[in-house]
Amino acid sequence: MAQTNNATLIRREIITRLCKLYVENRLEDVDRIALEMAPRNGTQAGGNRCCIHKSRAIIKYRVMALLGFNVSDETDELESLYSYALRALSNKEPEKGVLTVVDEACTSCVKSNYVVSNLCRGCLASHCMVTCPKNAITMEHGQAKIDPLKCVGCGLCKEACPYHAIIYVPIPCEESCPVKAIYRNAEGVEEIDYDKCIHCGRCMVACPFGAVMYRSQIINVLHDISRPNRQVIAMLAPAICGQFKASYGQVATAVKKLGFTDVFEVADGAVLTAKEEARELEEVLGQGQQFLTTSCCPAFVELTEKQLPALKPFVSHTPSPMRYSAELVKQQYPDASVVFIGPCVAKQAEARKYPGIDYVMTFEELGAMMIAMNVDLQTFEAVAEEEVLPERRFAVSNGVLDSVAAYYKGPTLNPLVISGLHKKNIASLRRIATGKHDWNMIEVMACEGGCLSGPAGISSPEVARKLFNAQSGVAEGQPAS
Amino acid sequence: MMNKMVEVSICYGTLCFVMGGAAFEMMGDKLPDDLKDKVTIQGMNCPGYCNTQEQGRPPFVMVNNTLIAEANLNKVIEFIRKEVEHGSNE
Repeated sequence: MAQTNNATLIRREIITRLCKLYVENRLEDVDRIALEMAPRNGTQAGGNRCCIHKSRAIIKYRVMALLGFNVSDETDELESLYSYALRALSNKEPEKGVLTVVDEACTSCVKSNYVVSNLCRGCLASHCMVTCPKNAITMEHGQAKIDPLKCVGCGLCKEACPYHAIIYVPIPCEESCPVKAIYRNAEGVEEIDYDKCIHCGRCMVACPFGAVMYRSQIINVLHDISRPNRQVIAMLAPAICGQFKASYGQVATAVKKLGFTDVFEVADGAVLTAKEEARELEEVLGQGQQFLTTSCCPAFVELTEKQLPALKPFVSHTPSPMRYSAELVKQQYPDASVVFIGPCVAKQAEARKYPGIDYVMTFEELGAMMIAMNVDLQTFEAVAEEEVLPERRFAVSNGVLDSVAAYYKGPTLNPLVISGLHKKNIASLRRIATGKHDWNMIEVMACEGGCLSGPAGISSPEVARKLFNAQSGVAEGQPAS
Repeated sequence: MMNKMVEVSICYGTLCFVMGGAAFEMMGDKLPDDLKDKVTIQGMNCPGYCNTQEQGRPPFVMVNNTLIAEANLNKVIEFIRKEVEHGSNE
């Protein structure tokens, strides 16, 4: 879920600066971003780091990620960001992984989840030492001490201490990851296992140091927009109605102002997804399959591919609204660059798998682009929409199910909605895969409450929900027609 | 005599909104009960404070005649309270 905190705002500021440099034709100054954001004798941007040089180094690697690179792929520390920018523009195929860890920004977390606080009395009984199955605790200077190399994080010492002196200190990224894809390497820096990562974006939101970044493609989008005679089409995800204090029409006008040739609403693709998924559901239930799950959430689909193969056969084969929308775009603009814009990190991973979608941008990047190009939504007139697609509700939990149900004509639906891929719900899905239940249609979204809570949106989930209800024309609870 | 309402103007410019101002959508809901009927909340089009460094960083909110930079909900509510308690009542 998108949060407004300094880590988020710094990322947005960097994206804005990057856009500005590009549109002002000053990309060669990209290496100056770190100097400008962390000036000598200035208040430090980038948080409370040990020194200005560290702050600058961190900003540099943030820019590297926003230029589309994996920070750990650096081979020459002296390679300039400008050189990376040029490499990004030469359009090489991105390698796996959409998320990357800015290692300079990491390492600030505890070495072990259990820490002895100064409430420790160094008691005679030493329950903690006696209880520890790994002999990780010693008594030093009258206080217990946990050896992080030996500690396995079982927590028995915490339970044993009569003074409540041992506390659990979470490592936010690891704690938030529902699939154990982020872990500390030998250097104590977090690393992402891309064979496990489902790109839900939770670690990025969770890290208080903003050390997890998505690899942006915005530089490529800007480049295509600037090319003469190049058509670039924006496809706006249904969650757009909860992003700005503006109607869909105002946003669409603003997006054209940014230089996009035309704007498509992904809700149009969602209509096709809902119809086809309803047909598929009738078909597979008719063939005796027990149930079907939705397939529009790419993090969920990745989950079934990487962690839950037993569930994979039950995932709908219907293309996502993004893919259908891309087909609609191609019919009208066969040679255009197609850019999906949404609140999602996982969509970029999905887009890489299928032809037809050239780039994926986030809503916060869209906002940053508007800032950089001085496009203010308030200057466009709000025109009341005559007809809105109920499929805009693909952005909210329950919405996909309602839309599919509206086209479905098979046996009675017994649906289940799974909202949020946290550990508990993944355990539920594991049980669901065994088939011991009566549900025949299951909607799954990785973000609690649906895409409105996406990790790269602009507003917090509660604000996004409020704006969506006010502006989408398809308030919550309204069934699809 | 009735006290004058405290006027809160939230910058609705895209920059302020993206850089944290979105949170003010919840202003009405998050106001403490004792302040709810003492405040009028309105939007303002971008007054351009973000273009100069002197006024501080976005998002910007005006509470009566005071400009608050790097505004957040708690900061604004505190200013409102100050205005209610000590502000001019003429």
